[in-house]
Amino acid sequence: MAQGKTVPMSSWQPNRRLTGQPQGAGRPGNPKKRRFWNIATGFDMQFFVLLMAILIIGLATLYSASHVYAFTYEGDSYFYISKQLIFAAIGVVAMLAISMMDYHVFHKLAWIVWGVSLIFLVMAYFMPSPTGIHRWVSLGAFSFQPSEIAKFALVVLFAHLISLNHKRMKTFRAGFFPLFVILVITCGLVVIEPHLSGTLLIAMLGFMMMYIGGVRLGWLLGILAIGAALVVAMVVVMGYEQDRIAVWLHPMESFENQITFEDGISGRDHAWQTVQSLFAIGSGGILGQGPGASRQKHLFLPEPQNDFIFSVFCEEMGLIGAILVLLLFGLLVWRGLKIAMKAPDKFGCMLALGLTLQIGLQVAINVAVVSNLLPNTGISLPFFSYGGTSILMLLGQMGVVLSVSRQSRIEKR
Amino acid sequence: MNEPKKTTPTTRTPTRQMRVRAHLSVILVVVVFFFVSVLRLGYLQIFQAEDWQRRAVSQQLSDTVVSAKRGPIYAADMTPLAESADVWKIIMSPKNISACDWKDLEGVDKNRHLSDEEGRELVRRRIAEDVAEMFDLDEEKLYEKTGKLHSQYEVIRSKVEYNEKTAFSEWAEKNGLNYAFYIITDYKRYYPQGSMASTVLGFTGADNDGLEGLEARYETVLSGTPGRIVTAQNGIGDQMPTTMEYTKVVDAVDGHGLVTTIDPTVQMYTEKYLSEAVEQTGALHRGVAVVMDVDTGAVLAMSSKGDYDPNKPNEIKDPTTVELLAQLSGDELDKKTAEELGKQRKNKAVAETYEPGSVFKVFTTAMALEEGLANENTTFSCKGSIKVPGHTIRCHTTGHMGVLNLHEAVSKSCNPYFVQLGLKIGPSVYYKYFTGFGFTEKTGIDMTGEMSNAGLYHSYEKLSTTVSSLATGAFGQTFQVTPIQMITAMCAIANGGKLVTPHVVSKVLDAKGNVVSETQTKVKRQIISENTSSRICSILGDIVNGGGSKNAYVPGYRVAGKTGTSEKRRTVENKDDVIASFCGFAPADDPKVAVLVLLDDPQTEVRYGGTLSAPVAQKIFESILPHLGVEPSYTTAELSSLSRTVPKTVGQTTSAAQTKITNTGLKATVVGNGDKVVRQVPEAGQSIPAGGTVILYTEKDEVTTVTVPDLTGRSVTEVNSIAASLGLNVQMQGLVGGSNAAAISNRQDVKAGTEVPKGTVITVNFAYTDTQDG
Repeated sequence: MAQGKTVPMSSWQPNRRLTGQPQGAGRPGNPKKRRFWNIATGFDMQFFVLLMAILIIGLATLYSASHVYAFTYEGDSYFYISKQLIFAAIGVVAMLAISMMDYHVFHKLAWIVWGVSLIFLVMAYFMPSPTGIHRWVSLGAFSFQPSEIAKFALVVLFAHLISLNHKRMKTFRAGFFPLFVILVITCGLVVIEPHLSGTLLIAMLGFMMMYIGGVRLGWLLGILAIGAALVVAMVVVMGYEQDRIAVWLHPMESFENQITFEDGISGRDHAWQTVQSLFAIGSGGILGQGPGASRQKHLFLPEPQNDFIFSVFCEEMGLIGAILVLLLFGLLVWRGLKIAMKAPDKFGCMLALGLTLQIGLQVAINVAVVSNLLPNTGISLPFFSYGGTSILMLLGQMGVVLSVSRQSRIEKR
Repeated sequence: MNEPKKTTPTTRTPTRQMRVRAHLSVILVVVVFFFVSVLRLGYLQIFQAEDWQRRAVSQQLSDTVVSAKRGPIYAADMTPLAESADVWKIIMSPKNISACDWKDLEGVDKNRHLSDEEGRELVRRRIAEDVAEMFDLDEEKLYEKTGKLHSQYEVIRSKVEYNEKTAFSEWAEKNGLNYAFYIITDYKRYYPQGSMASTVLGFTGADNDGLEGLEARYETVLSGTPGRIVTAQNGIGDQMPTTMEYTKVVDAVDGHGLVTTIDPTVQMYTEKYLSEAVEQTGALHRGVAVVMDVDTGAVLAMSSKGDYDPNKPNEIKDPTTVELLAQLSGDELDKKTAEELGKQRKNKAVAETYEPGSVFKVFTTAMALEEGLANENTTFSCKGSIKVPGHTIRCHTTGHMGVLNLHEAVSKSCNPYFVQLGLKIGPSVYYKYFTGFGFTEKTGIDMTGEMSNAGLYHSYEKLSTTVSSLATGAFGQTFQVTPIQMITAMCAIANGGKLVTPHVVSKVLDAKGNVVSETQTKVKRQIISENTSSRICSILGDIVNGGGSKNAYVPGYRVAGKTGTSEKRRTVENKDDVIASFCGFAPADDPKVAVLVLLDDPQTEVRYGGTLSAPVAQKIFESILPHLGVEPSYTTAELSSLSRTVPKTVGQTTSAAQTKITNTGLKATVVGNGDKVVRQVPEAGQSIPAGGTVILYTEKDEVTTVTVPDLTGRSVTEVNSIAASLGLNVQMQGLVGGSNAAAISNRQDVKAGTEVPKGTVITVNFAYTDTQDG
């Protein structure tokens, strides 16, 4: 305790020194090293605590949401939670390890990371898939979604380029153009998977980083306008995704009427997930049915451990619980902003911002989807949804943010 | 700090623009986006919460209807006429098929590698093949059903019998498919007596709902109240472990049973003779017979032939119709089939009207006698035809031209007489009694489809303004009534003038057999006096005993009644079509039962009610009166005609002896294998009742003996039936003409317990217990 009091002062000092010494982390020197191992003094405690709170709530929710489904279809109530716990544990360890690395290593790795992510995206496209959806890459027993890596790669590369060229960000050649091309390439590969929500997320993230990095707002708005017009044209004029739009606009009508959509699947099947999610959220009311008391998870809501886990949470914990979780996420992002603002350099700033904004955006899109504010596109809720690589990637990215925080000049309690 | 000039914090750290834009971005995400999300969630979870909850709960609850057992229908003697038996309904839940493992299927190679999709395909195919074969269903349609991924309720087969159900469960067990099927208890309606009383009983549809007859009329009584089991279910229809407050169990309340007034013996004879008559006469529009208790209006038997088997209500029963239908196809077939089904299901006794014809003269007579406008000796003359304004009405025969009194006119069924009598009665009296006898209202019998004859009879205005309608109405033409109206009115004639409400159901029983309600005799009104009633009974009795209705004559019983042959003017284009009917009751001096027989459009050469319908009624009376406990009262003439002297047959060939005895009006029973009769019991010259048995022994040693029973203290009928059952002959003493109902045997000449040869004549003495009539 006594030592705790000294934390702000003692930790502030080496960090300030570190800002001038990016390589300091690897340098020998006992006092520094000890402080590095000391989690409490080394990185931003607020961010870490918020993250752990979210992770614990997320894991608890995953168990509650998945056990019926797991028992019915896998014969083991703990099928999902046990795997997720293992990955989360590995993830936390990885996060702590990464937090001890100097994030500047990504300066050098930026292009490589991005290149690798593109390779994976292309690989995914050639993976055999019975459904025609190529979102996964399988390497032996290990499989993951390359778009998860692509998100990270984009953030790293943008942070790298923005920090390098920040003085010329207003120019077209050095500012807007290269970033836009990178974004288009990444999004292009994701959208053909097809992975609409992933594309949307990456695009939004990219635009936000470009905006923060100093790209002229006019260009961004112009591109946004053109993009929006294109989307509207594709939907309205060419009739793309009409089934999805129909379900989005009229979920109950699609669910209840005996209609068959153009793909030969009934409207009921199309609208099933959305409608079951609305049933769950609505059933929760203000106070919720109580922890573990969701009824919709009893095989009504398909795969309740995945993208629609939040609707089970809403059913059990009500509006109050939902607001609480959103508040935690909000605080996390806000704290990420603080870390970024106090980052020793623009690279760290953009990196921390990009990674926390990614969480914020993904949460916002996920909640919008489960509440049918946006069409059902398939986007997971960070730290809640089941997915080994996903949680590993997320925690690893948070490790990067924590790594930035080690060098930030903020009070870390 | 090592290279402070190269990278100062101020130049490396985020710029002011970056800070502003970063804050704006985070605010956009965290504040704006999150705030919109919260608004949306609040909208769903506060304002729409109730609506979504209601929808969610409706899918989370499994509301299973538990069928109530439909109540039975009994005959008067508690013989079951309709019963419900346990059957089962097999339901498939295609949604659960994915939970079935193809490796559990019987006889598959478990080492094959199949994808989930292929495995599911295999399971679906197996289900379609096996179940289609088991229940004789269309395999492709079944296969389609197995693909309804979100359905949990596809009825495969209802009304599955126990054996089929067991076989099915075994099959499902063996193939690991239990998960995909439910078996629900259900009930099926059986009619153990087959087509007996079918048009009265009606039948039930696929959902056990009464569609015709009593089944339809008493639907609410019979059906009971289905129960409900509301349980929480999960997305694939299994029990959901939850503490939902909505679950509940409501037990089914089984339906009440009906005890009808139908007497199975009476019904059986009535149907037998009626169907024989319909067959023999080829009556195109079927025939009707009704037997009713004259005092209570209880229907003892009611039949329309041809009818159907309520166990198979959709099968045409008449073989000629089946043949006819076999030649049709397509729409024509469907149309004709529906028409024929409707026809055979129709309870003609209540659902159709007919011209009563001469039978109605009974009522014209009744009104004339009751109003004192005529008596038995009132005369009018018949000239073979009579002119009324606009019409010339012919008599059916010219054989009785001249002056007739009422008695003769009824007996000869003289139309001109009744035209003149009707005109004398006048429209207001005629209409008063026409209404009084219930011919302008439904009888109110507790059956479905009682037809109203409104518009088919002459209104008072018509009767007062058109002479011809009164003239023809007086002898039963130019208007229509339902058979049930006719026999109910005839009961009023017979029972002392009371018009009752006929009924078929006497009691309603609950599932435990307790009486819930009982039908009381409902007397609507006294329409004629008892005196008038007995005067008509006497006239009608006389005409059966030698008059125009003599074909209804039954030895030992005084039957009263009137025949009618009416022209079907109103309904049929072909004016030649007739309805041959008889309506009467017995015994004439103390009426118990009324019988109506009606043959619609017979195809025979002679089509009089007297020749076609009266014999049917006679056979019915003859068979049912002893059963109903009505004692015969033979007249002296009848008695003497009933005795036979046993002829001598000893020494004759067996066949010659048999013929001889049969010709005498006795029965012969041959004992032994010899060619010639060596001994006969009773011996030649003895007097025994007609129909008695003569035992012819053809081998010397053969003697069949019987033990003589105690025949004292019994009625004539009882003594007869006991003796006949043992092969003994009885000579009755002490009986005179008139009613023998009160006669009781007091002596027998061979002591009870004695062994005597079969055929021996035992003389039994009777004494009347009612000395007043003696």
